Amino acid sequence: MASIDITDIRKNYGAIPVLHGVDLTIRDGEFVVLVGPSGCGKSTLLRMIAGLEDITAGEIQIGGIRVNDLQPKDRDIAMVFQSYALYPHMTVAGNMSYSLRLRRAAKQVIAGKVASAAAILGLDTLLERRPRALSGGQRQRVAMGRAIVRAPKAFLFDEPLSNLDARLRETMRGEIKRLHQSLGATSIYVTHDQIEAMTLADRIVAMNAGLVQQVGSPLDLYDRPANLFVAGFIGSPAMNMLGGTYRAADAAFVAHDNSVVPLGRAYGCADGAAVTLGIRPEHVVVGGAGGHVTAPVDLVEPTGFGTILHLRALGTDLKAFTLERKTAQVGETTSVALPPDRLHLFDAAGSRLS
Amino acid sequence: MGVRNTVSMTAFVSSDRQRSTPVLRRLAVASEPYLYSAPAVILIVAVMLAPLALGFSYAFRDVKLLNPLSGGFIGLDHFRALIDDKTFARALKNTFFWAGASVALQFTFGLILALLLNRPFWGRGIVQALVFLPWAVPSFLSGLNWAWMFNPVIGPIPHWLFALGLTDAPDNILSDPHNAMWGPIIANVWWGIPFFAITLLAALQAIPRDLYEAASIDGANAFQRFKSITLPFLAPTIAITILLRTVWIANFADLIVVMTNGGPADRTQIVASYIFTQAFRRLDFGYASAIAVVLLVLLMAYALLIVLLRQSLLKKA
Repeated sequence: MASIDITDIRKNYGAIPVLHGVDLTIRDGEFVVLVGPSGCGKSTLLRMIAGLEDITAGEIQIGGIRVNDLQPKDRDIAMVFQSYALYPHMTVAGNMSYSLRLRRAAKQVIAGKVASAAAILGLDTLLERRPRALSGGQRQRVAMGRAIVRAPKAFLFDEPLSNLDARLRETMRGEIKRLHQSLGATSIYVTHDQIEAMTLADRIVAMNAGLVQQVGSPLDLYDRPANLFVAGFIGSPAMNMLGGTYRAADAAFVAHDNSVVPLGRAYGCADGAAVTLGIRPEHVVVGGAGGHVTAPVDLVEPTGFGTILHLRALGTDLKAFTLERKTAQVGETTSVALPPDRLHLFDAAGSRLS
Repeated sequence: MGVRNTVSMTAFVSSDRQRSTPVLRRLAVASEPYLYSAPAVILIVAVMLAPLALGFSYAFRDVKLLNPLSGGFIGLDHFRALIDDKTFARALKNTFFWAGASVALQFTFGLILALLLNRPFWGRGIVQALVFLPWAVPSFLSGLNWAWMFNPVIGPIPHWLFALGLTDAPDNILSDPHNAMWGPIIANVWWGIPFFAITLLAALQAIPRDLYEAASIDGANAFQRFKSITLPFLAPTIAITILLRTVWIANFADLIVVMTNGGPADRTQIVASYIFTQAFRRLDFGYASAIAVVLLVLLMAYALLIVLLRQSLLKKA
């Protein structure tokens, strides 16, 4: 196990920069998730840590050792690929033991390590099978087993669950989390799925367009998104974003349709400045007394778990999520309240206002 | 009501008709699928099997173009003659050497070329196109070309070999009884490398890149990656291309006929060129057919062997 220090890492493909200077410290035993939309540079960063991509500028240290110029095999890391990348001509046991065999480990040592990894992952009965005779979930387990037997300094996961169906993905997510709890290995996990990021991470690194947008615990990012990108990326259904201006006189938000939302407190922002107001759908209060505005119901989406109501309010399509089985009808008018302590305010550049 | 009535009436009528001519009717029904496929089957038999059978029959008949009275059935006489035919024995030996050396060299260079072309480099598209050029040259033209290059009067190769000290004099390798076979083999290798390069390159490009990355993280060096990923992936393709090429080269007399015509003193005579000589120089079609039948049987046995090998490789994968 080891910590990983990333200092001002940059990556250009020819003249095109894809990573614009990333700083990140991953503590020993920490589970860090890199999350962002495709093309944000998260996989490139992971592959640079693995040694599969050249580093244009900056430094990566694993366990205090500079690895910029080390071959992947000399970095003592293990990687789980999205496609699993199992060797099709080897059995499950052969796949898991390949790295040890290359290191000329003793036969009994190999057998012992493979057996214990197989026991952890429930692969005991499949050791003599070849990958093509396995299901997607089993292949995923073998890929993890291949990483475990090496007991490396760090585990790197490159969207390992993206090829699985939704149900299996949920199961494997739980298994990866349990595995990390029992092994306590330093792990970096790349995904575009914010649910995976939220559920797995000790810390999330939200990335966009080659830049780190925010680093923090999952609930940090959820409760206090640093900017509009993080606010919009984390959470499902996505946060409501309302365009308007800030009115300093009574600390209120004025929407484009001139309806007013009291903010409850003053923000560090000039009077009349263009701002974006954010509120998560589950925080929008529908019905009841004390609503700021009345709004017609546009669309009702029952999810079984709850209901998503689309309301025409504040000059936009405002989503509200409630656990109640709303019987609201399309076209009906209801009152809407936006509790001040649940509001997020962002300036014109998209940064969070305090 | 009306519809049901009609249906039961048709059923009644057809069963009545079946009773009146049951045998003819059943025959027509039974032969229907065969009649539909007959045109295709007849065409295939006429185009593929009939010539084969005819050629096969020549092997058991005395067919000499210069003898108008020939054509009678002579049983296994041709095959008996073959057993004592020293030229045939030498041609058989030469065929093994010719096919073995050509395929081995074509494969080795083809694989190296495919591996080189599989790495990205500047101008790869143009180089790929150029490399595959020999394949587009007619075999007969490339035979002539190489024959001239080996000829000390107009070609440079004998002078180069002499200058390098590999030969005592700038002589024509094609007229040297001990080394003449290398002439057509070199021409054949030059001509056949692209075939292996193309097919192996296609197979190489089908190998997922992830596997190499996973292996390099697992600690495999370039040679170990080649051994545990590239080779197993290529094995089925290698087996099938070597099979195809061996059969084809064993039958491939163009270069030899053009460059040496089997000489000097039958040193470069292979079975295929011997068949050609028997059929079109001596005009003994019966004997030529008998040799062809032997070659066919040998090649089929070889093909069977390779197919079995490939099956076991695929099963293991």
